[in-house]
Amino acid sequence: MLNIFLQQLINALTYGSLIGFIALGYSLVYGILKLINFAHGHIVTFAIFITMSMLTQFLALHTLGFILALSLALIITIGVTIVLEIVAYRPLRRSNRLSLIVSALGAGMVIENAVMLIWGPNPRVFPDINFFQGTINLNGVVVSELNLFILFLNIVVMSILYLFINKSRTGIAIKALSLDYQTAQLMGVNINKIIVLVFVLGAILGSAGGILIGLTYKTISFNMGFEYGLKAFIAAIIGGIGSIPGAMLGGLIIGILQTLSAGYISSIWANVITYSLLILLLIVRPRGLLGQKDIEKV
Amino acid sequence: MQVNKSIFIISLIICSIGFPFLANNIWLSIITTFLIYSALSLSQDLILGKAGIYAMGHAMFFGIGAYTFAILINTYNVNLFIAFMASGIISYCIGLIIIYPIKHLRGDYFLVVSLGLNIIFINIINNDPFGLTGGPNGIFAINFPSVGGLDLTGAKAIYFIALIFLSVMILLFYRLNYSKFGRAIYYLNHDHIAAKSVGIKPSLNKLLSFSLGTMLAGFTGAIYTLQYGAVSPEAFGIEQSILLFAVVIVGGQGSLIGVVAGSFVMFVLPEIFRSYAEYRLLVFGAAMVILMVIRPNGLFPSKFGFFQKRHLQQK
Repeated sequence: MLNIFLQQLINALTYGSLIGFIALGYSLVYGILKLINFAHGHIVTFAIFITMSMLTQFLALHTLGFILALSLALIITIGVTIVLEIVAYRPLRRSNRLSLIVSALGAGMVIENAVMLIWGPNPRVFPDINFFQGTINLNGVVVSELNLFILFLNIVVMSILYLFINKSRTGIAIKALSLDYQTAQLMGVNINKIIVLVFVLGAILGSAGGILIGLTYKTISFNMGFEYGLKAFIAAIIGGIGSIPGAMLGGLIIGILQTLSAGYISSIWANVITYSLLILLLIVRPRGLLGQKDIEKV
Repeated sequence: MQVNKSIFIISLIICSIGFPFLANNIWLSIITTFLIYSALSLSQDLILGKAGIYAMGHAMFFGIGAYTFAILINTYNVNLFIAFMASGIISYCIGLIIIYPIKHLRGDYFLVVSLGLNIIFINIINNDPFGLTGGPNGIFAINFPSVGGLDLTGAKAIYFIALIFLSVMILLFYRLNYSKFGRAIYYLNHDHIAAKSVGIKPSLNKLLSFSLGTMLAGFTGAIYTLQYGAVSPEAFGIEQSILLFAVVIVGGQGSLIGVVAGSFVMFVLPEIFRSYAEYRLLVFGAAMVILMVIRPNGLFPSKFGFFQKRHLQQK
């Protein structure tokens, strides 16, 4: 009984960490542009598919091939993100927020359908890699090396990002931008550079999450981005938008809710239960768990 | 200008009445679909464009109306007129119940919650609670009873029902800007702190505009069921909600012509270019980005109230 619970918990934490990686991208972008980057989930899908293609190309080269495939895929994803920012978001930075949202939705549709046209509408199987294949049996609870790696990476990435945002010069520029972007500009922050940087950072974290999703769950399809993206965005909001530990916390909460309600209540009602509880949480704490209350300025 | 406008309106009325007697069935059903989706987009516009509530789950209320109508007629053999009324009223009540606890959420938070609610709705109807909704297949082969000897399921009859419904909605929306309620939601949308300070109640107006929008969507859903004789979950999913959201913003918030033109582009053009169906969403997405970049306020930005008009005439 306890073993089953622990097993579920491990799965929940893995799923939650993966959501958390994607959520960080939303949280960062929302923090500076106040934009729900609806294209983010689809960028993640794109990253997964391009990595899949690259891996099937280079897998014969073992570790070197893995690194080569990964870096090529990342470079292409980053390129797409930068183009997206310049074409779809930059011209609308000063106009009303709804146009920016629609532009993001449109960009997301373009990427999703481009992925469908390139790789086909049918689900694909993510290729196996040569490492992280082992499992550890802890008194009946099976933990795969991949799960451990995901949890480890989660903590490492979060700490590095936290330090980067709070301690480095660039990180402080990002924070300044999120508070007041005109003043930040007057203080000599190059806002175009910083915004591109934040998008790229989000894309890298999202791609990392996406690739790990591919490795963990194997089946991938062109329209998975929206579902993951929405869950991740809700995670970012639940945790408190703009807060880095918050995004991860939100991801973990979603993971736990989803897995435990599927395991213990009913798998077909799991989504309903998860979303209902998340909405309740938002009603009670509109600014998220770790978010700060913002005061309305007139 | 005034004469031109009335000539245009009269010829539009004559054309729309004469149309079903000239067109073939395919075109008739395309245009009926267009009328239904225009009404739906207008009801979304009341919530999003006029009241400024970021609701991205409107297909849900369309679905509630459609399913209520289908279930009442198929399972309970209710009178057509009562079922029609019920679909609007149930949608209204559910809208009211839903918005009440979340009315304090603003902007994106509301948007995410409404998207979440739409997903919950789709999951519920997919799971076929109490055997009412028919699961993923939906409800099909609905037999509509005739009303007073009239068969309301013929293509022409549905066209006229949709036309009358849309015309009533257009008239209502046209007059809305000149009413107390319309002005209240306009000012709340544009500067809610100033509006509050002159005594406009934000939460009351928010509740009212949202639930009215959902009621109109419910009625539209009933007409949709009447047209297709079937309902299935995919017509009410988040993709549909996103398209509706985009139609209002791309057309121009609060602008009658804009929203109708937007629904033409989004819902009728794909019917015409069926052979390119796989490129449809790709082109839409690109069009959404390009239109927003070129015209950030929408294709036909709305004008509001008497004052702006007078001001323009003086120039």
